Amino acid sequence: MEKVTIETMRAMMRLAGFEWSDAELEALRPLVETNLRLLDRLEAASPRTIDPSTQYRLF
Amino acid sequence: MTELGWTSVADLARLIGTKQVSPVEVVRACLDRITALDGTLRTFITVCAEPALQAAHAALARVLAGETLGPLDGVPIGLKDLFDTAGVRTTAGSRILADRVPGTDATVVTRLTGAGAIVLGKLNMHEFAYGPLGRNAHYGDTVNPWDAGRPRVPGGSSSGSGAAVAAGLVPAALGSDTGGSIRMPASLCGVTGLKPTYGRVSRAGVLPLAWTMDHVGPMARTAEDCALLLGAMAGYDPADASTSVLPVPDYARALSGSIAGVRVGVLRQGFLDASAADVAAGVEAAARMLQSLGAKTDDAAIEQMEHVPAAAFAIVASEALAYHAGWLKSRPADYQPDVRERLQAAAFVTGAQYVRAQQTRALIRDAVDEALRHRDLLLAPATPITAPALDETHADIRGERVSVTAAMIRLTRPFNLSGHPVCAVPCGFTAEGLPIGMQIIGRPFDEVTVLRVADAYQRATDWHRRRPPLAS
Repeated sequence: MEKVTIETMRAMMRLAGFEWSDAELEALRPLVETNLRLLDRLEAASPRTIDPSTQYRLF
Repeated sequence: MTELGWTSVADLARLIGTKQVSPVEVVRACLDRITALDGTLRTFITVCAEPALQAAHAALARVLAGETLGPLDGVPIGLKDLFDTAGVRTTAGSRILADRVPGTDATVVTRLTGAGAIVLGKLNMHEFAYGPLGRNAHYGDTVNPWDAGRPRVPGGSSSGSGAAVAAGLVPAALGSDTGGSIRMPASLCGVTGLKPTYGRVSRAGVLPLAWTMDHVGPMARTAEDCALLLGAMAGYDPADASTSVLPVPDYARALSGSIAGVRVGVLRQGFLDASAADVAAGVEAAARMLQSLGAKTDDAAIEQMEHVPAAAFAIVASEALAYHAGWLKSRPADYQPDVRERLQAAAFVTGAQYVRAQQTRALIRDAVDEALRHRDLLLAPATPITAPALDETHADIRGERVSVTAAMIRLTRPFNLSGHPVCAVPCGFTAEGLPIGMQIIGRPFDEVTVLRVADAYQRATDWHRRRPPLAS
């Protein structure tokens, strides 16, 4: 996974409608990088054809 | 102080029904204990003393008039402060909702009070249920009644529910569980907590953390008490589309004490071997006890465990952000720092990643089903460590230094993803005197077997009867 830059974070944040300072984004960056590393592994884990689960065994 | 604070729901209902104890006396006993102890423990956000006493007098009138009583008539309960209560503020442990007063009760509150239960008050919690330690910057940190010489976290997010039951302030409480928030405080506080199957209990009128992961359930000192509460709460609710129309069994009646032939798989890989040695020893001893009671045990494993953290993170974070986005824009400073940070981190999860997490979730659910294909139950620790001190941020588990927050939810959240029913039960104490909890995991909608085994275990042990030092 490529390193997450402040520029990338700023763009995503604005797309989501938030306005956080660069200092806040910098503080968040390690957590975001850890999370994205974890999520990257899911790409390989799940077949694309499987139905996403949202609810369970409704009778 | 009176022994009524330590009397079980089942015994209270029986004593009240046979006119041996007045519900007014019971409510007053609980209120006295709250007055004496809650300055230290900080389990309640709102105490409903006057309405509770009025309800107790009404229950007493029903008893004296010889009316047919509800199964919980005159029994006081506490509610985690995210269950809507008509006319009583419901804060979710937040500053943002500090003055929010709902106009109606949550469905489960209506059902429990309809069965005669008396709401004693609203219990402290991790802000917006988004944290496993039970910390709260606005209403104060709840303190675990089991302190072993140092103030300790009660576990969260249903921290007040776990600590209040453990300290004998209230015989039972409701919690909610999105990643383990009933089972973690049950484990750390030495009480019994049930996360029912997803769809078994209505979430209508319960402030959400993550709609597809949230479960509502009882916390009490015994499995029998959890069975009584579940029986009153469970069942289809037109206000919650996720609830099942399956009939609700008589859970309390199903507690026969017999578990002969029940097949129990002990989860070692990823559960026992990922827990502190004293925790693992407690659960191993419990497995031997179940065997001596007639259960058949073997080793079991759940595939896909390595993907649980990522899937759970993406789902909970995305759903939580969807609920909180407006306040995160308009009132960011009103969140406590750890909750704000979790919500901010959610802004960097894409829609495609959320769907991929839900796809992975299907695999995890199937993996749990597979582990239960030839077994009735699975057995695992509830938390890999016992209650950490309030100032501890990391713990050592078999030589590995791990963050307390990450460790705490490691063993519980697979079953929020899978939706299976789980009962957390006290199963021992460490050498320094802290409770150890185990999880009994069942097949979907088979709470009967989960509770029957938990109850049989408690008939043979006394871990759940021990009283914490900060509660006497």
